[in-house]
Amino acid sequence: MKIAVVGKGGAGKTTASAVLARTLARRGEPVVALDCDTNPNLGLSLGVGDTETERLATLREQIGDGAGEHAPTWEDILDRYGTDGPDGVRLSVITRIENPEPG
Amino acid sequence: MSGSGRVRVAFVGKGGAGKSTIAGTFARLLGRAGRSVLAIDSDPLPGLPYSLGVAVDDRPIPDDAVTEGPPGGPRWVLAPHLDPEALIRRHGRVCPDGVRYLQFGNLRGHVAALQKAQHAWSQTVSELDRHRWDVVGDLPGGTRQPMFGWAKYAEVVCVVVEPTAKSLHTARRLLTLSKSRWAPQTVAVVASKVRGPDDAELIGSRLGAEVLAAVPHSDPVLAGDRRGAAPLDADPEGDFAKAVGVLVERVLSLYPAAAKERS
Ligand SMILES: Nc1ncnc2c1ncn2[C@@H]1O[C@H](COP(=O)(O)OP(=O)(O)OP(=O)(O)O)[C@@H](O)[C@H]1O
Ligand SMILES: [Mg+2]
Repeated sequence: MKIAVVGKGGAGKTTASAVLARTLARRGEPVVALDCDTNPNLGLSLGVGDTETERLATLREQIGDGAGEHAPTWEDILDRYGTDGPDGVRLSVITRIENPEPG
Repeated sequence: MSGSGRVRVAFVGKGGAGKSTIAGTFARLLGRAGRSVLAIDSDPLPGLPYSLGVAVDDRPIPDDAVTEGPPGGPRWVLAPHLDPEALIRRHGRVCPDGVRYLQFGNLRGHVAALQKAQHAWSQTVSELDRHRWDVVGDLPGGTRQPMFGWAKYAEVVCVVVEPTAKSLHTARRLLTLSKSRWAPQTVAVVASKVRGPDDAELIGSRLGAEVLAAVPHSDPVLAGDRRGAAPLDADPEGDFAKAVGVLVERVLSLYPAAAKERS
């Protein structure tokens, strides 16, 4: 099952996604939570904390800047650029990086 | 509020922080003081009409306003019959308090349409007569794209931040970006939707930055939003309007230093 959550800024997308992910995980489903926001902060709503949320965002930016390696498969991506959150939700930031530096 | 220098101010921050609500009110208060104000929406989902007090109309600027540029320059340029003044005259919407409004973010149509709009926008802001127009830019939520997109043009960038974890987190990212060499010179923190002095203090201390102005959460503004009334029309003398008035004064007080640093 794949669920996408969309809507206007501040409408509650991230909060709803996090609650959805953790609720499914608590029922025993394996859950992957993908943060596709260019300003990723799903980690804050899932409860992995400020520092870890920022670490994932920075990791993702390094791939964008060409500093990190491109991961070959999605499993590798989850492995290398993800983190384990509460209730066993696996979180990864997979935003497309825009404007890594202005032209 | 009659300072002779013109201002160019952009509003950034997390989605939903209150950028458009503050930006439109800011533009109208400048207009009310007799200044020529151009309000620019760079958000594909325009948010400014609500706070400017005009009907939402998300038509992009017409196709023939932009043509292919001569080789060696930018890919798209304003059509020969249009300079920024003409673009404002023909396509700028006239809003309450005399504010002119241009919408450049529209995403409908194809990538080419967006590219055209981008070029039209950047040419308009860079060639606009600086001695005539104040420019107020309302940006989409986020960090890099908005901050760097406007960096070349705005002298003052207001980071709009609510007293919530995610809004603070985004503001911290924006403040970090503001230290890069491409960033605008003057970045100011504006507290939004605060419910008391504690909230503004929290924002200041969490960000380790001075709060230029604190804009309160306002029930009348929210009620106005629901019936389609702009904040200044819903509650003309209310706390929200007063606080944005203070913000206007404080932004003006950053000049001429802000303009000097920029050039
Ligand atoms: N001070 C305030 N008091 C009450 N409601 C407010 C206040 N400021 C903004 N709002 C409401 O909050 C919502 C979001 O505001 P707004 O659209 O200005 O945010 P934004 O930062 O421009 O969002 P986006 O990133 O989606 O463009 C709106 O419904 C608006 O009416
Ligand atoms: Mg907006």
